[in-house]
Amino acid sequence: MNNFDFEVLVVGSGAGGSMAAYELTKAGHKVLMLEAGRDYDPKTETPMFKRNGEAPLMGAGNSDKDFGFYDATVDGGWQVPGEPYTAADGSEFLWWRARMLGGRTNHWGRYSLRFSEHDFKGKSRDGLGADWPFDYEDIAPWYDKTEALVGVCGTNTGLDDMPPSSDGILQPPPKPRITELLIAAAAKKLGIPVAPMHRAVLTRPLDNRAACFYATPCGHGCSIGAAFQTTTSLIPMAKATGNLQVITDAMVKSVDTDEHGTVTGVSYVDKKTSAVHQLKAKVVILAASACESARLLLNSKSARFPNGLANSSGQVGKNLMDSTGANIGAMVPALQGRPIYNEDGHTANHLFIPWWGHKAQERKELDFPRGYHFEIGGRFSEPSAGIAGNVQGYGADLKRQVKQNYGAYIGFALRGEMVPNEHCYMDIDPELKDKWGIPVARFHWKWSEHELKQVAHGLNTAKAIFAHMGADVGELPTPEQAILKGGEIIHEVGTTRMGASPKDSVTNQWGQSWDCPNLFVMDGGVFASNPHKNCTLTIMTLAMRNSNWLSAQLKQGAI
Amino acid sequence: MANDQNNSTVEQHQTHYRSGMTRRDSLKLMMALAASILLPAVLAGCDNAPSGTQDGGTDLAKATTEHWPELKLTPITATGYGKDPNLILPPESPWPLTLTQAQLTLVAVLSDILVPREGSVPSASEVHVPAVVDEWVSAPYERQQQDRLTILSALAWIDDEAQMRFGKSFVLLTQVQQKAIMDDIAFDTAETPAQFKRIAAAFSRFRSLVVAAFFCTPEGTKDIGYVGNVPIGGDYPGPSQEAYAHLDKVLADLGLTEYAYPIHSA
Repeated sequence: MNNFDFEVLVVGSGAGGSMAAYELTKAGHKVLMLEAGRDYDPKTETPMFKRNGEAPLMGAGNSDKDFGFYDATVDGGWQVPGEPYTAADGSEFLWWRARMLGGRTNHWGRYSLRFSEHDFKGKSRDGLGADWPFDYEDIAPWYDKTEALVGVCGTNTGLDDMPPSSDGILQPPPKPRITELLIAAAAKKLGIPVAPMHRAVLTRPLDNRAACFYATPCGHGCSIGAAFQTTTSLIPMAKATGNLQVITDAMVKSVDTDEHGTVTGVSYVDKKTSAVHQLKAKVVILAASACESARLLLNSKSARFPNGLANSSGQVGKNLMDSTGANIGAMVPALQGRPIYNEDGHTANHLFIPWWGHKAQERKELDFPRGYHFEIGGRFSEPSAGIAGNVQGYGADLKRQVKQNYGAYIGFALRGEMVPNEHCYMDIDPELKDKWGIPVARFHWKWSEHELKQVAHGLNTAKAIFAHMGADVGELPTPEQAILKGGEIIHEVGTTRMGASPKDSVTNQWGQSWDCPNLFVMDGGVFASNPHKNCTLTIMTLAMRNSNWLSAQLKQGAI
Repeated sequence: MANDQNNSTVEQHQTHYRSGMTRRDSLKLMMALAASILLPAVLAGCDNAPSGTQDGGTDLAKATTEHWPELKLTPITATGYGKDPNLILPPESPWPLTLTQAQLTLVAVLSDILVPREGSVPSASEVHVPAVVDEWVSAPYERQQQDRLTILSALAWIDDEAQMRFGKSFVLLTQVQQKAIMDDIAFDTAETPAQFKRIAAAFSRFRSLVVAAFFCTPEGTKDIGYVGNVPIGGDYPGPSQEAYAHLDKVLADLGLTEYAYPIHSA
């Protein structure tokens, strides 16, 4: 850090923090990035082409590696050793964290769907939750720029749930697979469209990143840079400007202020030595993840900010949202014994089912306010610990059954928008501290009728689609049984929401805190609502747009 | 598998195999066991089996009434591989293996009944499936600890049943005798007789593990026909003509032809 006179301090190296660092360093600002986890190099650490059979337990997940042995997540998952979180009585919430450079971008699903004007103005439509403080038109050019920089494959479908990208922005999507084509036909018979997924996976080379070669799961990380993660793209690109320095193993414990209430910098724990250091900065950007940033603000109390920093609205930690999730699947007899070919593709959805119910909701034909989509799965996967399925007997006939069922199972994953409610929020546990002495987050959670009715609709719709494929999903679970836990979809957002008024929001539309002009939030915390479309693309787009605005402010001397 | 950390011989393992056995060593042991599978001496010391058997065996040739070995297992206390293992060179022996020689032998015999050699395709024990089973039931994680009780109970039940019906351990039975027991417990359906419900469910879990361990080997992966995990230059080629033709037939059979997704414009 010697002689590095940085202007902006960024907390977090994931989607938002890395985009902010990239944009600011490109604009000539010197940036120091703090990452709570260890350094991570996908080029040397990614287990490309490794077989499940080479891993302990055939790669199956467990409490050490929740998403399987090869999942890219380092030192994290549903629990981080020494860094617990709690849930209030009667609440259950899961909080996925990664402690590594690049954060959760190293393993994310790469689904990259734009929010639409419809998504940004839900409250204007149905009176629930909050509107975003800008229009789709304001952000559309930034979606273009982000998609072009990140590299997103897909097409403009013309569907009302999928606003178009400008010409030449999207890379071509991969061809659909057989299972997806069958689902598409069955859904269409019900009037439900199926479309190419938009995914932050290169199908054409970009910068120093290679195009996808259609092998080895993206969740393991991608050493060739085809599947977007900040550690193969934004961070090295920002470093190449000469304007970025990164400190890893730096766990920020507070944002510091002076007697005027101006943010002066941060205090962090060096995890290797446990020493606490203070850093001064002109501007602090929090991008530590929605709940980590909110936790930081709530823990940054002072005489002037007794309820935590940037919290005059009382909204820090409130409005916590995840996506709804539910899984449903069945063996499709018509697919048993089908001809085998290489079905890896880019290892996730080539096609998916976008939300098709806008018109029905307008006509008030549905008993829930917000939409959902289905991610659809089923292919000739590499054998894993779960390959046996439901089989009987032994010997040659047993093997015949397994082979017959191979590639014949289809699963749908519902991902829906939840409406924020007063029972879903986080605060600080009054007792517990983590191993660094930092008070931990405490979660409060309760799904509302809106989400349960949406999931019920999804289950029934899925059952109907399966029926058209000649498959029986069996008796449906209740929505209460089917809905996954809060946090389990890892789309937690909203805890420092942006808005048009300091009374009911934490930041303005630029992610600038209303209370402290030199404090910004650039992670999912600023989401005013949580559309069903996966949050990362919009986190990056907002971080790009807002960093550009911040840069202009700095250059004008306004901050 | 490189990095063999343990230079102990197979002979030593046969008396001291609990300590520090790497995966490769366990494979060597399995091969030794496979070669000596019919030697009664190997079968001594199945220390997890219940002492004494139920019912006393009034009719050795027929199925018994319901019984269950209430095993008192020592909890696994080893630690896991942690939250930041080396993914490029996975740990070969992440925790101590715990199956006894007799249990491993029984696992090997059962594995080969489940997945026998077929022509040039090896059997489960030939590709060291028992070592994977041992690693699985010895693992310190919740799911594996549950499976440990299920699978060790199933193994004990099978030997109890063999003793009650035929007066011998399962591995010493004739193929016809083994098949008689298999036919009673290998089908977990609505028609499964009440006294076999519990063992059928437990055996089903064991079967799933053996099947997975087999198909996760290079030989098993080849046998099931998986052709992915290879880099492709250029665009993803998509389905084969044969696969498209099959889909067309499926769509026709399901009355979906007119709803087919336009593949050529995609």
